[in-house]
Amino acid sequence: MVAKSTLMKWHYITGLIMIIVVGIHIAYRWPSYDASVSWPAVQSQISMAWYDIVLLIIVYAASYHAMNGLRTIMLELFHGGKAFTTFVDVLVIALGLLVVVVGTYTIISLIPL
Amino acid sequence: MQKTRRVSPRWGLWLRGLDEWLVIFQKVSGLALALYLIGHVLAVSTALGFGHNVTQQQWNAIIFGVLEKPHIGAVSVGALLEYLIGILLAIHGANGFRLILMQWFGIGLPKPSRHTFPRATPSPNATAQRVYKYSVAIITIIFIILATYDVFGALLGW
Amino acid sequence: MATASSSEASVETIKIKLPEIKLEKKEVIFKIKRYDPEKDGFYWKEYKLTITNRTTILDALLRIKETQDPTLAVRYSCRMGICGSCGMVINGTPRLACETKPYDLGTSTITVEPLSNVPPVKDIVTDFDKFFSNHKSVSPWLIRKDEKEQFEDLKEYYPQTEEELDNYLQFSYCIKCGLCYSACPLVFLNKEYLGPQALAQAYRWSADSRDQGAELRLKLVDTDNGVWSCNYSGTCSKVCPKDVDPALAINMVKKMLLTGRKR
Repeated sequence: MVAKSTLMKWHYITGLIMIIVVGIHIAYRWPSYDASVSWPAVQSQISMAWYDIVLLIIVYAASYHAMNGLRTIMLELFHGGKAFTTFVDVLVIALGLLVVVVGTYTIISLIPL
Repeated sequence: MQKTRRVSPRWGLWLRGLDEWLVIFQKVSGLALALYLIGHVLAVSTALGFGHNVTQQQWNAIIFGVLEKPHIGAVSVGALLEYLIGILLAIHGANGFRLILMQWFGIGLPKPSRHTFPRATPSPNATAQRVYKYSVAIITIIFIILATYDVFGALLGW
Repeated sequence: MATASSSEASVETIKIKLPEIKLEKKEVIFKIKRYDPEKDGFYWKEYKLTITNRTTILDALLRIKETQDPTLAVRYSCRMGICGSCGMVINGTPRLACETKPYDLGTSTITVEPLSNVPPVKDIVTDFDKFFSNHKSVSPWLIRKDEKEQFEDLKEYYPQTEEELDNYLQFSYCIKCGLCYSACPLVFLNKEYLGPQALAQAYRWSADSRDQGAELRLKLVDTDNGVWSCNYSGTCSKVCPKDVDPALAINMVKKMLLTGRKR
């Protein structure tokens, strides 16, 4: 079993990574959110390979950070022994994998080769 | 000795402390952002046809046809949601950065020392912590101003 | 019998003028939240008392017990802020009754309640079993690799420099009063959380240069219900009557775990 300190170390590492990559993602909504989600703007964003890589990093870092956070909150609030802990572990891993698989599948196809 | 339920907390003790609000906010915002992440990745991936149907029709159908369609007056609910999520993200990130600097690198934590007379300042009230919290507040205010301009600027005529 | 020395040292007499302490009196209402174990419920009872500016909450409660209501149950011992027995919530904040004066609080009504986050026993007395078992679970004693040497063959004391002492001294002042445990919001949210007192003591012993059990102890607290349940609300440090600063200790443990450096 992985020590909680190892899980939290990665929680902090992914948090630090996300400050940069999510910052870039949000910066592309400037100066107008409406304009940034219009098709021409989206098309120009996803056609940049480096931006696609940033999105990929976000998917992995955010999935880990969010799922570890979710696990921490659930284990703090509810106690049900080993069975409950296993259930929470399976749930967060499943949700995390869902996000990672869908995100990776989509972004890999977008990266211009 | 009969073991019964625990004595309930004194809420006033926690309601008047910024640190306590930040703890609860970090958890609640984290939960909200985790749920948003799942929805956002699924929604945008669908809008991009999972990378295999990357067309304007597909994008507009999902983003403008479903997510941004409901409106409260002139404001799109989707845009409002993104605005609120952005603010949650800013506070969660700024406070999280403060926690990482403290807990991993020990920045802003005093060195254990001998007692001073009459009373020592507890570390949560020390100057470094006030600097941290002011920084979080300033970052939040700047982000709210920029986000309001970004999302509602046109509507407000800025 | 030893005789006194014949040479008498000349003694310089220094006259010190002590500050005049003016005794003030006022009538105060004590609103006490009492627990009835037979009915498994709380109820409020009010008592009027004339107190002075020298009276402590504990003095007042004992006077109420003596003169008005002998059924009031109060736990206390030393009356001087060193045993940690008289912890209770006074005007919404966990405090030691023997170290709190109604005059300093400045209100004409003083509310006294049992400590939160622990089960009540009777009136303001609470059950500290879980609190003490949490403390015991972090092995709060000196662990040496050679136990035979420690307990049987010890030839000399374990030396320690002033700097090594300063690393943990403030955390050794803990009197196990439970105020931090009562004040902690995470103890409320997470019923299995070890609590700030136990975790601060885990740091106190792990940071002690004479101790060789840091690895074992850190493994015990490196769990979801150990140090990682703390989110630095700092309430524990704000209420500690001995300036132990458990929040600082817990963060030092986290730093030890994340950096891999034991001291």
